[in-house]
Amino acid sequence: MVKRHPVRKAVLWGCMTTISLAIMIAVGSRDLAHFDAALVAYTFATLFATFGITYRYTMWLQRPPTAMYWKRGWQMFFKPQRLLTNIRNLFTRTSSDFAANRFIWKRGKLRWLAHWFIMWGCIVAVAITFPLVFGWLHFASVPGSLDSYRAYLFGFALFDFPVDSIFAFLMFHGLVWSSFAVIFGVMLAMWRRMRDHGAASVQQFVEDILPLILLFAISVTGVMLTASYTWMRGYAFDFIAILHAITVIFTLLYMPFGKFFHIFQRPAQLGATFYKDAGATSEQAHCRRCGEAYSSRMHVEDLISVQKQLGFRYEVAGEVEHYQWICPPCRRAMFVLAQTKQWQGNFGDQMFSSMHEQPAAPRFGNPVISEGPLGHEDQANLHF
Amino acid sequence: MPEAQYEFFIDPSRCIGCQSCVQACSECDTHKGQAMIHLEFVNRHYSTQTAPVVCMHCDSPTCAEVCPADAIKKTPDGVVQTARKPRCIACNNCVLACPFGVPKMNSGAELMMKCDMCYDRTSIGKAPMCASVCPSGALYYGTREQIEAQRPRSMPVNQFQFGQQTISTKVHMMVPRTAQPEHIDVLSAMHDHTSGHDIFLMMHDE
Amino acid sequence: MAQLPRSELEMIAAYGPHVAHAQGQRLEAGVEPDRLVKTHCCFCGQQCGIQLKVKDNTVIGFEPWYDFPFNQGMLCPKGVKRYLQGAHPDRLLTALERDPASSGGFRPIGYDAAIQRVAAEIGRIQAQYGNSAFGILSGASLTTEKTYLMGKFARMCLKTPYIDYNGRLCMVSAGAANKKSFGIDRAANAWDDMLHTDVVWISGANVAECAPITTSYVWRARENGAKIIVVDPRITPIARTCDLYLPIKPGRDIALFNGILHLMIKHDWLDHEFINNHTVGFEAVAEHVADWTPKRTAEVTGIAEKGIQQAAEWWGTAKTSFMTHARGIEHHTHGVQNVLGAISLVLASGRIGRPNCGYATITGQANGQGGREHGQKCDQLPGWRDLANPEHRQHIANIWDMPVEEMPQPGVDAYEIFRKIETGEIKGLLSLCFNPKVSLPDSDYVSAMLDKLEFYTSIDFFLNDSARHADIVLPGSLQEEDEGTVTQAEGRVIKINQAIECPGEARQDWRIIQDIAQALGRSKGFTFDGPRAIFEELRRASKGGVADYSGISYEKIEAQNGVFWPCPSDDHPGTPRLFEPHSWNPVAKGAGPFYFSDGKARFNVAPYTPPAEDVDAEYPLMLTTGRVISHFLSGTQTRRIGPLVDQYPEPRIELHPQLAMRLNIQDGDWVTAQTRRGEITLRAQVVRTIRPDTIFVPYHWAGQKSINRLTIAAQDPISKIPEYKVCAVRLVKATQAPAYASQLEPQQ
Repeated sequence: MVKRHPVRKAVLWGCMTTISLAIMIAVGSRDLAHFDAALVAYTFATLFATFGITYRYTMWLQRPPTAMYWKRGWQMFFKPQRLLTNIRNLFTRTSSDFAANRFIWKRGKLRWLAHWFIMWGCIVAVAITFPLVFGWLHFASVPGSLDSYRAYLFGFALFDFPVDSIFAFLMFHGLVWSSFAVIFGVMLAMWRRMRDHGAASVQQFVEDILPLILLFAISVTGVMLTASYTWMRGYAFDFIAILHAITVIFTLLYMPFGKFFHIFQRPAQLGATFYKDAGATSEQAHCRRCGEAYSSRMHVEDLISVQKQLGFRYEVAGEVEHYQWICPPCRRAMFVLAQTKQWQGNFGDQMFSSMHEQPAAPRFGNPVISEGPLGHEDQANLHF
Repeated sequence: MPEAQYEFFIDPSRCIGCQSCVQACSECDTHKGQAMIHLEFVNRHYSTQTAPVVCMHCDSPTCAEVCPADAIKKTPDGVVQTARKPRCIACNNCVLACPFGVPKMNSGAELMMKCDMCYDRTSIGKAPMCASVCPSGALYYGTREQIEAQRPRSMPVNQFQFGQQTISTKVHMMVPRTAQPEHIDVLSAMHDHTSGHDIFLMMHDE
Repeated sequence: MAQLPRSELEMIAAYGPHVAHAQGQRLEAGVEPDRLVKTHCCFCGQQCGIQLKVKDNTVIGFEPWYDFPFNQGMLCPKGVKRYLQGAHPDRLLTALERDPASSGGFRPIGYDAAIQRVAAEIGRIQAQYGNSAFGILSGASLTTEKTYLMGKFARMCLKTPYIDYNGRLCMVSAGAANKKSFGIDRAANAWDDMLHTDVVWISGANVAECAPITTSYVWRARENGAKIIVVDPRITPIARTCDLYLPIKPGRDIALFNGILHLMIKHDWLDHEFINNHTVGFEAVAEHVADWTPKRTAEVTGIAEKGIQQAAEWWGTAKTSFMTHARGIEHHTHGVQNVLGAISLVLASGRIGRPNCGYATITGQANGQGGREHGQKCDQLPGWRDLANPEHRQHIANIWDMPVEEMPQPGVDAYEIFRKIETGEIKGLLSLCFNPKVSLPDSDYVSAMLDKLEFYTSIDFFLNDSARHADIVLPGSLQEEDEGTVTQAEGRVIKINQAIECPGEARQDWRIIQDIAQALGRSKGFTFDGPRAIFEELRRASKGGVADYSGISYEKIEAQNGVFWPCPSDDHPGTPRLFEPHSWNPVAKGAGPFYFSDGKARFNVAPYTPPAEDVDAEYPLMLTTGRVISHFLSGTQTRRIGPLVDQYPEPRIELHPQLAMRLNIQDGDWVTAQTRRGEITLRAQVVRTIRPDTIFVPYHWAGQKSINRLTIAAQDPISKIPEYKVCAVRLVKATQAPAYASQLEPQQ
């Protein structure tokens, strides 16, 4: 059973993905024919990272709330009557949230700018380097033509292009462009982190600063390599190459542990949206104190089972059954009223109570504080 | 260590609903422009009673436990922080699970936000915004000695009962010293509308 | 002039009120301010200490000032968001001249040209009709230096008797009664004396919303065992959990006080020693209250007998007590009598002038205390001297270096100034820090009188609702753009510090006044180089008076976090608690603690009279008015601050469900209230926290939303305070939403 051997399961999955990748490298490079032996350290670091990431991902998926979301996310996605809409939403959300980082824009413009440049810089860099390292992608002169190159993917010829074309220049310097994007993004992020009092109070070196330093180091050493062979006749090239390798390998080893793991967790956001979409159109849960709808019945029931798995005992005797059936505004009101009860008899006030009439839902005193409620879910949480 | 000495105490019975806390909360550097504290009329039809609710900073936070993304972390000094931005997937579990009804969901930003006891202030020894400005003392930040000296009728409690579940918190709630309750049973208020005076009680019948 | 230069809607579009929200540097979490300026809130009479964050000559936020003793960092929402009044889109950056051809009704003109025009008009009107044809309206939110200058400007520069101020709408009833009873008008105690008292009595004071920081003192007293008694027609937030709540009918406070004194005498809950040694007139009062049996008291006040008995017992048997009240008992045609009744309870108990025993009115305006001490009242000279008293006139004439015979005699109160406009005696008017069109009762009349003036000039930082009628508007200064002192509710003189410079062509108000004096060719006595110089003259002028500031300096205020007047010498620490047993004062000269020649306090017989306009079959309900926490006075500032508008966007009519059911009104319905003066249509708020025979409407809004178009202009014969707190009204459910609902934003 999953629950009994979570570690064993994670190790198993880790091994499976790592071995698969190793096989892919062997096959994709035509039995290592196109594999650059100088890059072997990179390859092993990548294999380690693959294991680590898979291990952690599997462990993570086995936590009760994650498991619930994983299961429900797929269920809701593949629900036959929702599948078409879901696929359409998948495309729009992938482009707006992942490609454009729209949700980060909402969190902050500067944060968005920094993230967008770092993200796209990294994506381009990864798309170029990993296939090269694994020998999946390589270039060779077109036989019989000195001024053309031919690109090969997994050993299959793709297309030819002139050596001195703009296209060639852009492509062979792809890593330079991506480095510039990353450096720009990292500098914005560092500037923000050094300046923003809020960020300053919660950030941690290993979690928030180190990743920026690593990305910066990789990009700068990478650009230095280009600079070295382009303008400095290879000055200190070997030293820079080793330095670059160290930064990349360290980053690969760091990936399963630190902030970069969010790259793999983040897609779960899509699962959450499909779940919420399904919840919005399904039966609602009504608060057993005030009677107002506050969430989908499915979500409340799932949460109850998750809480039970986690060892919480929010069960309540009587008709309420479980505390989860009380809406958040009523929880806040009851929390305060329970204290009021303690003070009864000390001051002149009395408690207005009734077993028959349902207490009204508490109302937010200020309908438009600052920028207003934080969206439709917050609105449901507030009772205006 | 100022964190060890200073503690947060709330006494909703003092609250006058003035919203200073709400207005000051949006001046906090960790979520500028947005207020995280809750302040609701419990039932304005009956009474002016208002419910100020800050994050209670549970010892073992339900919100963090039910988070599928491991996004909610506690600092070494016991402050449960707002969701870590890279991780939060906006699933709403924490909003629905928090026994005190504290977290807020910022839908557009795909991010849970909540009171973090003004960590930008408390982590450097300053009082949180809400407790700094609160004109009624409903929200108070100070040492235990201070609050005991200033409030001879009250004592702090930090155990709350929800059905069979007991939750202990970093933030304390003031209850009468005469009552000496071990915990506050939140469900005891299930059928209570609000509290206040009945205007007819002291009105002269004509 | 005639009508408004353009329609109200057009003027609102051009000059607001528009709301401002935090943006730019005010919303960034990473901005390091250039400096923090320790100063005080610009709003109510508590004058909470606050530190303003200043960046690039803009106030971008605040930081609590924990060390200021009164509020220790606490602030109400107005204080928190006050920083948004600066750098506001509605801010007047130039002088304006009335111009019906311009879309907003005004065109900008140069500052000097505007001053010349004002001076020329003053000169013309005074030459044509006499000096007294020009009047001045001033305000109690100004620094004491400015209020002093305004009084001097009227008496010495314009030589007009007609100056009065908006403290007339605020604390004059308490002031007059305090003078009658104690010989001095100041809160008798610092609030600290509330903390360890047995009973706190709060009459007609919505402490939680109008003096929010005072709440912390009340609750701390309760923690120490005090009983809290609240008397109010509404269950205000402070009343919600008080120990005894007495739901009084508006305007019947004196009856309650007489009834309580009746019971105190009956049960001999009196301090005979104090009464015999330190007061006069008790017998007459005792005789007068003999008729005020609990039964009669209950019938008049609408409070159950058991409540009256309970209150009397707690008050009567207490060892220490603190009596406090505010506009709820003062805004009446018998406001002075109401306050005298409260004071009688204090004097009969003997609980004044010693630790943990106190009495105070809670002053409403920023400088409600200081603004009523130094000569901008119609009958007053600096240091609380009397304009009719030859000795006092001579003293001030010497300080001002003017012939005493040129000093005008006492004028009339602020409302009477408008009646004098009607009779044609006053042709020209200058107003500063006063928005009479919103804040005076029966305001349609006020509006018509503004239009009748030959010349009206208003000094303000925003185009307030009255200034729309002006011929010239002069761009004045915000509180944070100037320095000076104010005296807060406890009698503590504190220092406002300048945080930023005036923007554009805006000028500090004292400069504008001096510039007018100069343009008139009468600059003698108006060549101060700053507030400090004005304060130095004020110290000399107040020396020897009841409100003696001569020992106060800016440095001493800073060093002591405020100085309580009287402070008659440089080495005097100030006087937080008045009337201590062996205290000396310049009137009694050692004869006793009170400010009469025999040193004794006066009991005053305070007969009950019903409100000027009692209910009848036609208008069967009582209308009472007041504040909400997120707004201040006529809303010129707070209705421009977005988060405060969000908190309470528009006025509502508060009514009891019993009344609502009878009239078939649901919560949120449009309801029309009608009085003999006018009508207003607002949304209903149906709550059980108000007497069923009373409705409440807050007064901070203008135009169609201004409740003061309905209130009555009846005034107290002594203090001249208008009766805002009660008039007869009827209520009907509106058939449709008013036109303004679709034309105006909530705050407009």
